[in-house]
Amino acid sequence: MAATRSRWQVFSRICASTLGSYAFCWGFVALGGASLIAAGLEFHEASSLVSMLAFLLYLTTFCWAFIASSLALVWGVLAWGGALMALAAWWIARLMA
Amino acid sequence: MFANFRLSLTWLHTWFGLTLGFVLMVAFFFGSLSVFDREIDRWSLPDTRIEPQPMPSFDSILASRFAMITEPDTDQRDEAAKRVTAPLPGKLTARSWNAYTTHRDPVLLMYVGFEVPNSPLPEDTVYGDITIDPRDGRVLPEDRLALGSGFFYPMHYSLHITWHDLGYWIVGFAAMMMLVALVSGVVMHRKFFREFFTFRPGKRLLRSTLDLHNLTGVVALPFHFLWALSGLIIFAAIYFPVFETSLQPLVDQHEHEEAMHTGLDAKPSGVPGRLASVDAMMKVAKDHWASRGVPGEVGFLSVTHVGNSNAYVSIYRDSTDRVATAEGLHFEGSTGRVIFEDPPAGPIETVNAFLTGMHLQQFKHWTLRWLIFAGGLLSCACIATGFIFFVEKRKHVHAKQGRVGATCVDALAVTTVTGIVVATMFMLVMNRVLPEELARRGVWEKGAFWVAWLATLLHAAWRAPAVLQGRLSKAWAEQCRVIVLLGVAAVALNALTTGDHLGRTLGAGYWPVAGVDLLLLAAAGTAAIAARRLRQRAGDPRTELASIEEAERA
Repeated sequence: MAATRSRWQVFSRICASTLGSYAFCWGFVALGGASLIAAGLEFHEASSLVSMLAFLLYLTTFCWAFIASSLALVWGVLAWGGALMALAAWWIARLMA
Repeated sequence: MFANFRLSLTWLHTWFGLTLGFVLMVAFFFGSLSVFDREIDRWSLPDTRIEPQPMPSFDSILASRFAMITEPDTDQRDEAAKRVTAPLPGKLTARSWNAYTTHRDPVLLMYVGFEVPNSPLPEDTVYGDITIDPRDGRVLPEDRLALGSGFFYPMHYSLHITWHDLGYWIVGFAAMMMLVALVSGVVMHRKFFREFFTFRPGKRLLRSTLDLHNLTGVVALPFHFLWALSGLIIFAAIYFPVFETSLQPLVDQHEHEEAMHTGLDAKPSGVPGRLASVDAMMKVAKDHWASRGVPGEVGFLSVTHVGNSNAYVSIYRDSTDRVATAEGLHFEGSTGRVIFEDPPAGPIETVNAFLTGMHLQQFKHWTLRWLIFAGGLLSCACIATGFIFFVEKRKHVHAKQGRVGATCVDALAVTTVTGIVVATMFMLVMNRVLPEELARRGVWEKGAFWVAWLATLLHAAWRAPAVLQGRLSKAWAEQCRVIVLLGVAAVALNALTTGDHLGRTLGAGYWPVAGVDLLLLAAAGTAAIAARRLRQRAGDPRTELASIEEAERA
């Protein structure tokens, strides 16, 4: 176990779990909030819901980033997922305004 | 990265729990003290040892006092000056007047929000505040520090690091890691329910420490989880400022719709206007609550767009009888007509308000208040035993290998477990010792706290080499003895300088001061027992030998 664990890998895991999860959750709040508002949910209800869930989501992705076997998959899902969701949210907000 | 799921989570639990544990100790210790922040305020400001007062008259007292707040706090102004794109004008425009009180407040906090022009942040506001005696409107001296609500309370969520909200982020990340430690802790231990009932104090230190760590973790698991989570939710707008930054069109649209719907303008009109009698509005609000079957006092009062023709007054019932904070009544400032009543919150906002209200506990329920205090102390115990387990498990191996890991952790653990209590009690002692007339007295008190805390760190570091030899650091016992001295001294000094000794406060049933005194004595007593136990352990060579054997097995 120790042999397969280089310093770099640990560092990359920690970055993925802390920063990658943050990016992913940011995307979730943006896309979740924008879609719920677009679907007709009241603004405060929508923003409350997604920001409360964001912390539980962060908890989940943070742990997952350590459990998952493939570090590439972790980075792919968290960073790309976060970016795509944020982009989609921006697009929805533009359509609605 | 690891052989299996459980090993990954164990690694997370150990390393993130350890590094953020020091921050969590601060958050939970000062959070626990914040449960009694108003009571600590009374202890530290003897002039304010009076019964709680309702919101005073606006027309005869508050209006003139608000007008006295002409500028924001210097710190806030200086921070704002750094973020604006053009230099701040000498005089900022007041935008809102606010006054807040609870069933535990004999004094009234009044604060004015000032607009920050040319700021990159939307609705950027800085605040200036005063505290008054609501009975006669006397303004309390500004340089007196309310130790509970003015120092311990902000410490628990911001560490007093204001630069770019860094303190909030550190505490927020620590709270996230508390959640991670709880989840990973539960997964690591397969005998979850047995741990509910397992504590073997007679066993060797390593085993008893782990038992206590598991017991305190499991018994108060819902508390640990919900308080860390609700703390994060309270500051969600800081941690995820998503809407204000990347979804601004939605925010603008919502503000516009809300203003149309409620009749409360989002922006000041720019045309000067006068306020009608706010006392009359408070009377209308109280009659309205009484007619709804929920009579109560005004808890929060705010005037928005001060001095403008479209100013409005919002009045909220105090939170004495419920967890979630209240819906408000909004009045047109110029006429006193009710413009809008907040509708009952939607289901999600209700959950949010409940979690927030539970964490902030402005309700009147002393049993719950004590239970929440006990929950906070259990969190502290859980974190502290985590440190001790970390050190005990490794110190003999590290001693053999000449590694300093366990030694450093032990010194930091001493600083955040006993050191934090020493620094807090030293601050209380200095609060009673410093001359009453001393200028900037609060700054001296804060200085005393930080110096004392630093001293406990240096002391712990000086004693730490014992751990390097696989022995117990004497700093633990020595700081416990300092706690005994300081705790007793604080109670004695309070009696000497104010005359409010326990005989008098208990006799009169004045619990804010009696309670703080009793807690100080309880802490001193606990520290005395701990110091004696530590000395017995240090004097018994078998414990050291046995713990070496045990650590080798573990």
